[in-house]
This record gives sequence, structure tokens and C-alpha cells, in this order.
Amino acid sequence: MNIPLNIDWQQILLHLFNFAILAGGLYLILYRPVKEFMKKREEYYQNVDKEAKKHRKEAEDLVHWYHAQLEHVDEELEQKRAKAQKEMDQMREQQIEETRKQAHAILAQAKEAAQHEHDVMIQQTKKELTDMVVTAAEKITLKDQGDPYEQFLSIAEREVPDGQNK
Amino acid sequence: MKKKRTRFIIIWIIVTLALLVGSFLAPSGSGEETVQVMMRDAVLHETNQISLFGIMTVNPGLISAITVTVILLVAAACIRIFVIPKFKYVPGKFQMMLEQVVGMFDNLAKTNSPWRNGFLGAYVFAAGAFIFVGTLFELFGLQAITTEGHSVTLPAPLSDVNGAIMLGVLSYCVIVSGAIAGNGIRGIGKALKEVSLLISMSFRLFGALLSGLLVTELVYYYISLSFVLPVIVGILFTLLHALIQSYVLTMLTALFYGEMSEPTPKKKKARHEKVAKASEI
Repeated sequence: MNIPLNIDWQQILLHLFNFAILAGGLYLILYRPVKEFMKKREEYYQNVDKEAKKHRKEAEDLVHWYHAQLEHVDEELEQKRAKAQKEMDQMREQQIEETRKQAHAILAQAKEAAQHEHDVMIQQTKKELTDMVVTAAEKITLKDQGDPYEQFLSIAEREVPDGQNK
Repeated sequence: MKKKRTRFIIIWIIVTLALLVGSFLAPSGSGEETVQVMMRDAVLHETNQISLFGIMTVNPGLISAITVTVILLVAAACIRIFVIPKFKYVPGKFQMMLEQVVGMFDNLAKTNSPWRNGFLGAYVFAAGAFIFVGTLFELFGLQAITTEGHSVTLPAPLSDVNGAIMLGVLSYCVIVSGAIAGNGIRGIGKALKEVSLLISMSFRLFGALLSGLLVTELVYYYISLSFVLPVIVGILFTLLHALIQSYVLTMLTALFYGEMSEPTPKKKKARHEKVAKASEI
């Protein structure tokens, strides 16, 4: 069949083959790498933007938090002061209690020491008196010449000057 | 500064005059074939055919197409090897130009076909590059030897009717594929309504590029028209052609692809509608 304008199917197919190679090659070598790079860059800047927005939101939240804190700072100070006062009272009470206990303990200890000393002194005095009476009785018994009363007095007189002399 | 400019102007005028004299003195080949034969051959390629690697004879347009493909692929490979690995987030001039071109075709596909555009973007990029570079290709005046031993200037690939038909038909096939992908079998019917696109796209390209070729051939055929006028007819028109034709074909393809691939809601049967209306009442 003679096609007008010298149209040739074989050459059309050859043109098609040629264009297929060109289109495939350009897609693989040029179009896709450039597009991928552009996409990568877009993603990078989107991430940067996202991060910046996130940081900005965090900063705004922080500002709001600080504002809220400043608004409640008086109230909070009052609460803290009351709490501190309460803690201090408790500590003071505790210290007073401890001091009282220590005082009781010291007093009890002092009483016990005084009692012990008193007992020791009584015991010692009793012992001295006993010794004195025994000594006197021995002397009287051993020197029974004359009136016992006179002997006792003379012995006593003799011993007193001796003791003074000493 | 002023001296330099004056010197440049003098040298430029001397070179231009020398070229003018040379062009008059050089032997002219215009007497070998009449303008009718030449223009008829530019359209039909009946006589000036070129051997394709000794396998078969083909129109010069196919040789041009192969040459353009090789040039584009080599350039793309060089860019891929030497430029793309050095891409930066803050682009330089060349990187910006590349991104602009790729982004332009990608956006063309995305704006015209928001539903499916991955394949369309790649196709319009390749078609646009092929038309643009192919049209500019004729400016370089590369020569090839015909089977009859004449030297011919390689034309734009799409000034060959076979090349134009290929691109027109392929674009229509891409549109049909979009219609099928978007709407299944019903998409074929939708695409067949626009079957005239086959002819309009093919012959628009062919007509536009052939007319440029014919005018250029005509201008260069007569030596008296070969001064100053080719600057406008040959270069400016070719540049405009390259831009306009690549824009028109890619835009039309993207537009129709988007229109065809748009999912259409299924129509309820009339009976169901009646039942629904009755229930509403």
C-alpha cells in the first residue's frame, strides 16, 4: 500500500525505538536523580522547619509556664513560709522535749549521786562513832584502877591535850 | 575603553565584509536542483535518503533523531557523573537551571494531572527535551552524505513526518494509558472521544517544523536572501519554534492526560435513582 507523504511504518518504529531509548535514558540518568535530590532537600528543609516550630512551641509553653508561675509566686511564697514555720515549730518542740528529757535524766542522776554520797557519809560517821566508843570502852576496861568515872575523865583529859598538841 | 570598542567595531565590519565577498566568490550549488524539487524532497524525502549503518536507507530526519539522542544522552551522562554528585542545598547557577527544567516539567504534570503524574512527568520531560534540542539541532547544520553521494544538512528530527507521527501517536498512547489507569475499561471510551488528537498532535508538530524548514531552505536557496534575513528566519524563528513546540506538545499531553485520568464517579442506574427519589418523598 502506497501511503501518502511517504509515511514509512518501519521508520516510525525506528523513531519510536530511538525515543524509547532517549526517554528511558533521560529518566534514569537525569530526571530521577535531580528529582530525588530536590525531594531530599525539600524533606531536609521541612524537617528543619518542623524542628524550629517544635522549639518555638516549647519556648512558648515555657513562657506561659513562667507567666503562670509568676502569677502564683506570692501564693506559693506564703505557702512555703507557712510550711517552713510549721517545720520550725515542730523542730523547736522536738528540741524542747529532748532538753526536758535530758534535764530529767541529769536531775535523776544528781539525786542518785547525792543519795549515794549521803549514805556513804552516814556509814562513815557510824563507823567512826563505833570505833570511838569501842576504843573508849577498851581503855576503861584495861585501866580499872580508881573510880571508873575518874579514870574515864583522866583518860579523856589526857587524850584531849594530846589531840590538841597534835 | 572607547578605543577598544572602536577597534572591535572595525574588526567586526572587516570580517563581515570578507564573509560577504567570500560568499559571492565561492562556487554556488544552487543550480544543481530546482527549488521545487528541493522543497518537495524536504517534505517527502524521496531522493535524498541516507544509509543507516549500511542496513537500510532512511530519511535524514531519523539520522538527526539518533544524533540528537546520542547528544542528549552523552550530555545527561556527563551531568550525572560530574555535576549531580556535587549538588548543594544552596544551588549554583547550573544546578538551579537543571532543577528549574526538571521542576517545570514535574509541575506541569502535577498541576494538570494531580491524580497520576509520576510517569507523565518523565514522559513530558523527555518529549520536551527531544523537541527543544531536536529543533535547535538544525541550526548547527551538520552534514550527512546521501545514498546518491550528495551532501545534505541534517534537518530537525520532527520535520520528518515519520518522527512527528511517532511523537503524536506516542503522546496519544500515553493519554490513553492515563485514561485506562484512571478509569479502567471505561477510560478507553473516554479516550476514543479525543481520537482526533492523534492527527492534530502529529501534524501540528510536522507542519510547524516543516514550515520552518521550508522557509529556511527557501531563504538559503537564493543567495540574495542569504544576508541578514537568516538571522531572523533561521535563528530567531528556530528558537521560537523550539520553545513553542516543546511547550505546546507537553502541555497538551499533560492536559489531556490529566483530564482522561481523572476518576469519574460511577453513575447510578436510573432505576436506583427512581427508588431513591421515591424513598425521599
